[in-house]
Parts: sequence; C-alpha cells; structure tokens
Amino acid sequence: MSDQSPAHNLVFGMAGSGGDGIVSAGDSLLQAAAAEGYHGVMTKSFGSQIRGGESSCRVRISTEPILNPGGNLDVAVALNWEDFLKFGAELPVSGNTVVIYEAATLIPPDRIPLVGVVPRQVIPVPMTQMAKDTAGTERAKNTVVLGLIAGWFGIGAVAVMKGIRKKLAKKGEELVEANQRAFDAGRAFAMANPLRVNMNIVPSETKGALKLITDGNDMCAAAAIFAGCRFFGGYPITPSTEIMQFFTDHVWKYGGSVLQAEDEIAGIGAAVGASFAGVKAMTATSGPGLSLKTEMMGLATIAELPLVIVDVQRGGPSTGLPTKNEQSDLFAACFSAHGDVIRPVLAPTCVADTFRITVEAFNIAEYYQTPVIILSDQEISQRKETLDPIDVSQFEIIERLQPNAHDLKDYKRFAQTENFISPISHPGMLGGTYLASGIEHTEGGAPTNSGTVHARMNDKRTRKFDPLKDRKDLFEVLGNPSAPLAMVAWGSVAGVCREALQMALDEGLNVKLMVPYLLYPVAEGAYREFFASVRKGLIIEQTHLAQFHKLLRMHLDLPAGVRPLARSGANPFLPGEIVAALHNLLSELQRRHEGKLQPQE
Amino acid sequence: MNGTATCDFQPKDYKSDLKPIWCPGCGDFGVLQGIYRALAAIGRPPHEIAFVSGIGCSSRIPGYTTAYGFNSVHGRSLPIAQGIKMANPDLLVLAAGGDGDGFSIGGGHLAHMVRRNMDIAYIVMDNQIYGLTKGQLSPTSHKGLTTCTSRHGSLEEPVNPLLYMLAYGAGFVAQAAPTDLPGMAAIIEAAIRYPGFAFVNIQSPCVTYGMEEQQLKGLKAMQESLEGLGHDSTDRLAAMDLAQHYGRKLHLGVFYRNPEPPPTYGDLVKARQEELSKNALPVERILDLFIKK
Ligand SMILES: Cc1ncc(C[n+]2csc(CCOP(=O)(O)OP(=O)(O)O)c2C)c(N)n1
Ligand code: SF4
Repeated sequence: MSDQSPAHNLVFGMAGSGGDGIVSAGDSLLQAAAAEGYHGVMTKSFGSQIRGGESSCRVRISTEPILNPGGNLDVAVALNWEDFLKFGAELPVSGNTVVIYEAATLIPPDRIPLVGVVPRQVIPVPMTQMAKDTAGTERAKNTVVLGLIAGWFGIGAVAVMKGIRKKLAKKGEELVEANQRAFDAGRAFAMANPLRVNMNIVPSETKGALKLITDGNDMCAAAAIFAGCRFFGGYPITPSTEIMQFFTDHVWKYGGSVLQAEDEIAGIGAAVGASFAGVKAMTATSGPGLSLKTEMMGLATIAELPLVIVDVQRGGPSTGLPTKNEQSDLFAACFSAHGDVIRPVLAPTCVADTFRITVEAFNIAEYYQTPVIILSDQEISQRKETLDPIDVSQFEIIERLQPNAHDLKDYKRFAQTENFISPISHPGMLGGTYLASGIEHTEGGAPTNSGTVHARMNDKRTRKFDPLKDRKDLFEVLGNPSAPLAMVAWGSVAGVCREALQMALDEGLNVKLMVPYLLYPVAEGAYREFFASVRKGLIIEQTHLAQFHKLLRMHLDLPAGVRPLARSGANPFLPGEIVAALHNLLSELQRRHEGKLQPQE
Repeated sequence: MNGTATCDFQPKDYKSDLKPIWCPGCGDFGVLQGIYRALAAIGRPPHEIAFVSGIGCSSRIPGYTTAYGFNSVHGRSLPIAQGIKMANPDLLVLAAGGDGDGFSIGGGHLAHMVRRNMDIAYIVMDNQIYGLTKGQLSPTSHKGLTTCTSRHGSLEEPVNPLLYMLAYGAGFVAQAAPTDLPGMAAIIEAAIRYPGFAFVNIQSPCVTYGMEEQQLKGLKAMQESLEGLGHDSTDRLAAMDLAQHYGRKLHLGVFYRNPEPPPTYGDLVKARQEELSKNALPVERILDLFIKK
C-alpha cells in the first residue's frame, strides 16, 4: 500500500479478554464491509479456556475477492497487551502496521511490548474511559473500536450502526443510543487525531450488491441439505459441531431428521442405517471422531452404501490442538480402515467452494455407492467469508442407481456390471430383499469365504473409482500452464497459495499453482500433466510429515526438484513466506542454469 | 408397530435360501423358528422388514431370514437399526445379536436406545459365552466360569440384562427360551407389536462352547413361567424383583410391559417435521439464510 493512495485491502487484528466483545466487533465490521460492497474474511481464535480468557479475531477487507485471512496486520488493536501477545503468530505486526491500544495500560507508545518491530504508527486511545463516559459502561468499548475504525479507515461509517441497531433492537432504544454515542466518540477521536498516512480503503464499486456471509460449517450443512441429505447422525466435537447444529435447526423442515448419538460410532452407524434405508445421509466429526468411525467406514465400503463423512481437521494426534488448524488427517482420511479400501476424499479450499464440494461429495457417494470424505479444516470451517450469491440451479443432483423391474426379477444386489456399479434396492422395495453385510459376499449377497469371490469383489469395489480420476473439473491449474516453477496446495492452504501466486506473477516469476479438490484416489494423470513442465516446485501443506507430498510420491514420480513446504501447528502460512520460498527455488534454478550447481537428480 | 397392509404369510415365507452354518443343536435354530412364526403371525411382507444384527454366531440370523437384512459389525446393530427406523418409520425394524455383541462391545448403545424409545424390537440370543470366536468369557458368563480366556475361573460378576433394561426404563422387557417354541414365538410377536423399544432376552444355549448336556437339563429345570407365578407384567418394581434372579432362575415371559406406552421417537420426529416444515424456505433457497441485509 502506498502512503498516499487509498488501500484495496486492509487486515485488522484485534485481541482482548473474553468479555471485551472482540469477536462481536469483528462480526460487525465484516457485516458492515459486506453491506458496503467489500469482500471480507474473518477468522477468530481463542485461548483454551471454555469461557473468558483471551480472544482475538482477524478481519480482512478487500475490494477484490479474497480466499485467505491475509498476512501481516495493517491495523492491530490491543485492548490489553497480555492478551494480544498470546496470539503472537496469528496477529503478526510489521513496520507497516498501525497499532491502536488501550491507553489505560499506561504504556507509552515507544515502550509497547512488541519485540523487534517498529510499527508505522502507535496510538494509545482511552477506549475504556470513552466507553464509560459515553455509554455508561465499559462493555461498549468494542463499539468505540468500531468508531475508531470508521474514522481512520473509512469503513463502516453507516453500516456498523445499522447492524448494531438491528442486533440490539430487542433490547431497547436506550442501549442503541448508548452504543451510538460510543461509536460517535470513537469516530470523533479518529477525526481529531488523523493518521500520519492515508489508510482509507478504496470505495467499493459493488456497494449495495447482495452478499452472503457464512462460515464453512454452516455452508457445508446447507449444501448437504440442498444436495438432498435428509439424515445426519453425529457426536459433538470441535471444530465440526456447527454442522450438526445447523441440521438440528433446519433438516426437519425438509422431512429429514438428525440424531445426536451417544458416540461417534453410533452417529455414523445411524447414518449407515439411513443410507441402507434409501436416504442420503451424512456424519461430521474431527480427528478423534474419525478414528472411532473407521470400522463403520469399512462397513459402508464393503456394503457399497453411499455416505458422506465430513472431517473438519484440527491439530493431532489425539486431542492435539482442538481449536487450531492443521491438514494432518490426510493419511487417516485416505487409509484408515483395514483391508483394501479406496474411498474418495475431497477438500474445499474456502467457504465459497464448500458448497460445490459438498454437493459433489453427495453426488460421488450416490453414484459410486461409497463413503466419501470431505476433508475440511478448522480454518475454513470456522472462518466467515462474504460471498456472492451462488446460482444453485447450475448444480446437478445425482441419485443412486436403483433396480428396474428387469433387475428385480432375479435380483443380485452386488451384481458385477460393466462399470462395477450395481443397482441398489432399499427396504420397502418389493423383490429387492438382500443381505447387506460387512462380511464378504457373493453377487447375491450371501456370505462367503471364497478367496476368488473376495478378489473379484475387491476388484469391483476399487476399480469402480477409475473414472473419478479423469474428472478434470476436480483440479484447478492457475498461472502459466508451462511454467518451470510450481506449487501444489489443497484445503485452506490453497487459498493462501492463490494469493502467493498472484504476488509471484506480479513480481514476474514464471510460476503456476495446482489446486486439487479430489485428493484421493490420486489422479496420476492430472499430476503428470501438471508436472511435465516443472523443474522446481513446492508441495505446500500444514502437516509435520509432509503427508500430501508422500501421498503423491506413492503414486507417481515427482520431478526431483519438487519438495515439500510443510509445517504443522497452528500458525497459518503467509503469502509472503511462500513467495520467498519460490524465490529460493528460482535462484537454485538459475544457478543451475549458470552451471554453478551440479544437478542433484 | 407401524403397519401397512398385512396379508396371509406362513413361517416358511420368511425362510431364506441360505442354510444355517450353526452347530447341530445350537439354540439359535429354535430362535430362528420363533422369529419365522412371529413374523408370520404379524403378516408384514418380507420387503417391509429390516432385520439388523452385529457379529457373532447369533448375528448370522438375518441371513437366514427373508427380509432386508443387515449383518453389520460387532456390537453395532442398534445404531444401524435406529438410522433405518428414522429414515423410514414405516418399516418393521428388528435387531438381533449375541450377549457379547449387545452387552459388551455394544453395551454403551443400550441405555440410549431405550431413552430414544424407537419402535424397534431387539432380540438377544444370550448363550453366556462367545460362540463365534470359540468359547471366551462373555459379559453374562457366571462368575468363576472357566474358559480359554479365564483358565482359572472368571473373577467378574455377570451383567444382568433384564435388570439393566428395566432400570433404563424400557417399555417392554421379556425373556424366552427355545425350549418353549410357541411361548417364545408369542413373546417375540408381542415385542414386535409393542409400540416402542422392546427387548427380549432369549436363553439360547451354545452346545459347542457353552452348555454341556447336563447343564441343558438344568436349564430346563430352572424354567418357570411368569404367568404361572401370577406376575403382574404392568408392575415395573415387581418385574425388577423377579429380574434379580437372572442366572439362578429362568423366568420365561413378559417381565414388564408399559400399559400406557408413551409416544415413540418416530411420533415425535413426525410432529417436529410437521411443525417446522410450515416455515421452511424452499430448499433451492436455503442459502438465503446467509444473506445479511
Ligand atoms: C471389533 C471387533 N472385535 C472383535 C471381533 C471378534 N468377535 C466376533 S464375534 C465375537 C463375540 C461373539 O459373541 P456373542 O456376541 O455373544 O455372539 P455368539 O457368537 O455367542 O452368538 C467377537 C469377540 C469382531 N468381529 N469385531
Ligand atoms: S458355537 Fe455355539 S453359538 Fe455358535 S453355532 Fe455353535 S453352538 Fe451355536
């Protein structure tokens, strides 16, 4: 951002104690931004307390569509330093950040506890006092913050109060007025103390255009209901629980039902039962729950029952980091369960495409009669995005293949067919009775011990997925298609890489990015095509073991210069960090070209 | 039980083409006959029946029954049966399995199944041993029993399935034995007809790893009909009193039948669906929920 011209993009980071209303302020800011026509992403983060403790949020607002919460903060708001510093890497401050903090801490601007950075400007504001003076309560200090933001950065001047008014309407005019005074005080403070540089955001061109605001979990549940899912069986676990909550709010309206089961096994078991009965069914969980569900996933595979399983990843193993992002359930999603199993694994990269990926997961489950895993992650599932309305009429909904009168004459549930997919009957269908089983079975469904039948059935159950690997629409290639420099990234990390790609292209790098939505079975062809021009590349992922890199190498030979950029833990990748890694690769490539580096291959 | 049209069916109409692989003399043969008879008495056509089991010798039973069968994984018949019932409340849903399947690995599901009061009949073939895995200790094995996993005699008290079920609040709790086939068939029939969750414990001897001939005779001697005792099956406390004799006395009959069955889970689901569907957005507009004006 230049010092004079207004910004196209602002990243706000705020932190405070539990009661400070930080997340609610972030919500208001995002909604105001959407109302004013901007695109936005909001993430929130808490300490590990159940209630109270520290909380933080990041709100990124942009004139262009965005798919990640951004890198360093443009604006940091610290209601109290102790809490702010707890979110160190999640709220990174740089020399370009304007820091606003609670003046009551009595820390002079040149002594703020940020080590190793000199922010662009540091402004103490007596937020608590202003809240008390104007609204009569400390609790309005988040509204003061919103007023400051409106004044200094030109965002939310009208829409914030409109939103607050709506939210508080039920609680009485008095409270609305008090908040209005707090907001005005914040704005007035900002006007009276202008920033050294202009940090206004460019007015949006799409002001007044309709925007949706939601997070990945709600989007996933809504998409599932749209796709025809009428049964949900689950057990609460962070960060997936909101999916079940959405179902309990809405699925009844469409003649469906939801079961909060006694554990994950019962949750997925009920979904398996519902699917057997002919209803589209889903379960959702996070890592530890996925571990419990694996036996049932194998059952659904061998009984060839459609089922969608959402795994919203958090840090593992075991209880790990319940509220923080990771991509380390990849191996578990692809491989957990005994025996020879292939189950499709799909991953959305942002809230918006969670809709498409969820509908796709149901379509694949129904068409192939198989469990499908949607590998979401904490970042996507719990961050809010502004979205343009989605034209749902463009989505095809696929139903499972049912037997016709001819099939039912001498019905064989697991009949070997040309494409390995057999018509599936369900209870109530005359002539279609059969035994579904976890034990190996003949075409007719009779239990068998025959190794020959078993081998043939394994062949049926795995080869039926071959066509899936040819689905070009489940992969996206961005940038220069013949570039020698490449990135591959999936899930929320892909959103960061999209931005890194643009930065790299703007810097003149010859680079491309592949975003797979289908992670498993590995579509060797798509990757071979992509890597044909590649000499150096990065597989970028939030895992410790570089799981995706290993998964790809299990299935194909990657060019020797392609290596993982992998790390576990909660800290998101920053676009700038990825671009720096690309520069390193590029200089290796150039040095090699100049003969300074011996080929390693 | 939710019913559609019933027709004339014979027990053999529920017999499948598969030949049971149970050991000759296994009690489960009798249970199978009892199920055929009960289903014929009820007269629901096979394609409207879903019969779910877990894993074990006993859990093979849906395979021998003409119906939509599901021979699932160990201990999990009840969750699957619940999903089926919720997805299609019009089906007649039966669940069955062994004592290991039901009270050990699947034991955690029982209380919740009862709590939800779905209209499902659950039949346990209680042989007090693990049959399929060849004779290990089961949760209903009596204390001191010597098996290949308790060579010096087990140290644990058995669970009491009847008392469990009564304590959980089940609306229908009964015990039967294949030594009295007509009585057992009648009890299974009554369980299926009960509108809500119904539990039948069947003393079904394992002749290979469980009972010696001598013990089988003993079992018969222990047999006593609840009706003969003048037990009032609407009296839950009296039922609990009698249930304490589990393992020492073989009471056959209905321990408890709630005279005023409460609404089933299915009834409640239907009511909720009807109530909430009144203000549903068309499903194509579900994303409108996310519009912030
Ligand atoms: C998860 C799992 N654990 C263990 C087993 C092995 N197993 C199969 S049947 C069985 C016990 C069967 O006993 P019971 O349920 O009493 O039935 P029975 O064979 O006596 O009729 C066990 C332990 C299994 N199939 N799955
Ligand atoms: S092992 Fe026992 S329970 Fe199993 S079939 Fe043989 S007799 Fe029946």
